[in-house]
Amino acid sequence: MALAGAASPLSATSLSVRVVDVTGRPVRDAVVTLYPSGDAARPAHPNGRYVVSQQNLQFHPFLAVVPVGADVSFPNLDPTKHHVYSFSPAKKFELKLFAKDQSRTVHFDKAGVVALGCNIHDQMSAFIVVTDSFWTARTNGQGVASFSDAPNVPARLTVWHPYLRAPGGQIQQAIAASQRNLHLQVRLRAPPAMSMTDY
Amino acid sequence: MPPFRSLSARLTVQFALLFAAAMLAVSAALSTFIAGSASREVEGQLQSSGAVYDRLWQQRAHELQSAAQLLARDFGFRAAVASGDQATMQSALGNAAARLRVRSAFIVSADGRISAIDNSVAHGEAQALWQPLDDGRLTGVSELGGRPRQLVAAPIMAPTLLGWVVFAADLDKREMRGLERLSAIPLHAAVMVNENGKWTESGGSMAALDANTARLVAAHVGETAAFEMTLGGGKSIALAKPLQTFSDRERAILLLAYPKAEAMSDARKLQLALGLMTLLGLLVVAVATWKAARRITQPLERLDEAAGRLASGEHVQVGVRGSDELARLANSFNEMVGKIAEREQRITQLAFNDVLTGLPNRTMFQQQLEHLFRATAGNGNLFALHCLDLDQFKVINDTLGHPAGDALLVEAGRRVQQAARGHFVARLGGDEFVVLQNVGQDRDAIDRLAREILVGMAQPLSIDGNEFVPSTSIGIAIAPEDGAESGTLLRNADLALYRAKEAGRGTFAFFEESLNEQAQHRRQLESDLRLAIERGEFELHYQPLFDLEQNCICSFEALLRWRHPARGLVSPAEFVPVAEDTGLIVPIGAWVIREACARAARWPGNIRVAVNVSAVQFHRGSLHETILRALADSGLAPNRLEVEITESIFLEGGDITLRLLHALRALGVRIALDDFGTGYSSLSYLQSFPFDKLKIDRSFIQNLLTRDGATAIVHAITELANALGIETTAEGVEETAQLMELRAHGCSSVQGYLFSEPMSSADVERLFKERGGVLQNVA
Repeated sequence: MALAGAASPLSATSLSVRVVDVTGRPVRDAVVTLYPSGDAARPAHPNGRYVVSQQNLQFHPFLAVVPVGADVSFPNLDPTKHHVYSFSPAKKFELKLFAKDQSRTVHFDKAGVVALGCNIHDQMSAFIVVTDSFWTARTNGQGVASFSDAPNVPARLTVWHPYLRAPGGQIQQAIAASQRNLHLQVRLRAPPAMSMTDY
Repeated sequence: MPPFRSLSARLTVQFALLFAAAMLAVSAALSTFIAGSASREVEGQLQSSGAVYDRLWQQRAHELQSAAQLLARDFGFRAAVASGDQATMQSALGNAAARLRVRSAFIVSADGRISAIDNSVAHGEAQALWQPLDDGRLTGVSELGGRPRQLVAAPIMAPTLLGWVVFAADLDKREMRGLERLSAIPLHAAVMVNENGKWTESGGSMAALDANTARLVAAHVGETAAFEMTLGGGKSIALAKPLQTFSDRERAILLLAYPKAEAMSDARKLQLALGLMTLLGLLVVAVATWKAARRITQPLERLDEAAGRLASGEHVQVGVRGSDELARLANSFNEMVGKIAEREQRITQLAFNDVLTGLPNRTMFQQQLEHLFRATAGNGNLFALHCLDLDQFKVINDTLGHPAGDALLVEAGRRVQQAARGHFVARLGGDEFVVLQNVGQDRDAIDRLAREILVGMAQPLSIDGNEFVPSTSIGIAIAPEDGAESGTLLRNADLALYRAKEAGRGTFAFFEESLNEQAQHRRQLESDLRLAIERGEFELHYQPLFDLEQNCICSFEALLRWRHPARGLVSPAEFVPVAEDTGLIVPIGAWVIREACARAARWPGNIRVAVNVSAVQFHRGSLHETILRALADSGLAPNRLEVEITESIFLEGGDITLRLLHALRALGVRIALDDFGTGYSSLSYLQSFPFDKLKIDRSFIQNLLTRDGATAIVHAITELANALGIETTAEGVEETAQLMELRAHGCSSVQGYLFSEPMSSADVERLFKERGGVLQNVA
């Protein structure tokens, strides 16, 4: 999922990052962000509509990557009430969506990960990654995220995953200009259990 | 086993030891069993208490966790945590902690920040919890702020993990006491936490654990069995249960301890009671054994003591109780004592009494005599010793046999005893009796007693149908004047007895000093006689017998003479009785026969020689052999030897005497009866043996012309002899008138000074030479 198709004034080549867990299995839905150094850096721009709906007592999609400045609408497609909230520093908000088909829009003006929850339904969880870099991609089923036009400059690479065991759920790594294929191994924690009655 | 001086002590100790060993073994087994069962019971109680503790533990944890979860889900709380609203966050946390009575509570945020309600937990310690929390650990024991605490956490989800609410309940003394109180038994509980090899204790009722104890406890963690440990100075039975810790670096143990003294107190009481019972039993056994042993040993001691007294000569009897072996032993002992007493009495009797008469014997007499000497010594009192000798004993014994003699002795003893009542009577042996009479100063009493004895003895007595009157002679010596010691007194009484016998039997005589002199003279004579045989001091003189029919010497009577070197010729009347008494007459008589035969063999063939043979020779000497030897040695024709005997030889021997006479007669030796007319002159002798000659005693010849009776007797003897075909010789013819008368009566031959005195053998031989061998009547 490439956010941009604009050509780089500098030379650029493709860059591929493969993320696996400690057992070597590919990690899906990891968000890989590349911050080229110097002038090569380029912010992302909102482009189109972004929606995180609530249906069947679940957020859809579970993970959304939006550029800074994006407006995300939260339609309630369930007959029940939802109380969507985020305590994340990137964006704190509460949406009391008490009627079916009721929808609100939230403007995300700060980069960061926003964890979504529902105060009524504890099992509901979703994430919105608000990115401020053009080169932001999520890994596919093979755990691979690819950039076709990554500038050939040294860069900082961050990998975030909802269950990644690291402070902030994210690791970062500096890469050289020549590094075009990265292989990263991460530790994941188990997805939180839906039933919280046990300890 | 040391040697015991008493059987009862040995029995007591041995049996007591045996019983003690058995009882101790039993009580030791019981005690072990009690201790073992008490231990198992305590262990069971500990385990059930452990199970109770587990449940309580879980309840508490559950309570805390529920509260933590409740708090963690509170929207406002989550909002406060997410927005970093410390005031709200801490007030909510503090509120919950107060409700739960938990002193420490804090929040560990997902990125490791800490927010606590108190300062008892260090920041670093709280931060260290992040890792186990992140690993999903939500409950467990951990040491925080130097104290073991029970931690319970709940994640704060919004909906991503913001952090954890952590309650840290103190496991302090109060908490432990709370647990302890819930137990059915007086338990001591403690939680021990080990971090980095150092154990920390919960501060329960147990004193601080030392390293060794901690190691011991750690070694028993998880075991279902209880173990023993030293705690606070005393032994405890303990159970160690592992507790889940919050961090993997730590280990925690719930230690449940039951002080052994308390745990085992019931068992101890039981054991004490058992011990007391054992001691009591031992005491009872010892006392009972001692008593039983005494029951056995007391009779033995009595027997032992009695045996000791018996050994020292006492005649003891032991009391007999019951009918057991000891009683039988005591009975046997008593019987034995009785038999020993009987035997002693018998021995004493044999030693001191005469078997035949039952009178005291010589030994006892000697003792009595010595006693009397001592009793009268120096007080001037006198006592008399009467020596008795039965006059007819020898005759009775010889003629009627020993049983009759014994009967006489028994009766005599009885009579003496009867007559001398109150005085000591003894039989010294043979027919000798003695009486000891204590007379004080009354000398007349001695005479009276002697007479009473004589009278008492002289009662008619019948033995084997032979009636006779026994009589006795008594010699009396008076002490101390006749002898100051027993030997002298007895000898002097004997001398007096001898005199009494001489004086005519059936009488008594007192000792006089002259008797002693006579006795000495006699002893001298006796020793001289013995020497005389050796020295050849004897010689024979011969007195011719004149044959009245042929008017020639027909025979010589050999007469013994002793030429004493100092005294000159000694009369046969003096020495022959001594020779007869001592038995010296036998060798002397033998010499006489040999000498007479040898001399006569040199005489003309028609001349005989007559030899006197005493009764002693006849009975004791081997007369037959002596005569045979003398005849053979001399070559004298037997019919030229004439043996002259007296009636006295018939007093002893009887048939033996007759057989010897016949044997001599068979040799051809002539036998003449000497001294006929005196003594018994029993005609039965003449009938029983055919004598060759009767020699009429000189007393008749001397009275021949003066007394009518004598003439008649001589006439009767010659008549009788002629009728029986026996020759007669008249002895002691000194006057021609006597010769005339004898010739008129038909006497065969005569002998006497009228014809010749006894002459020496040389004179005899000279006579034969001068007269040509035929002697004619010189008258």
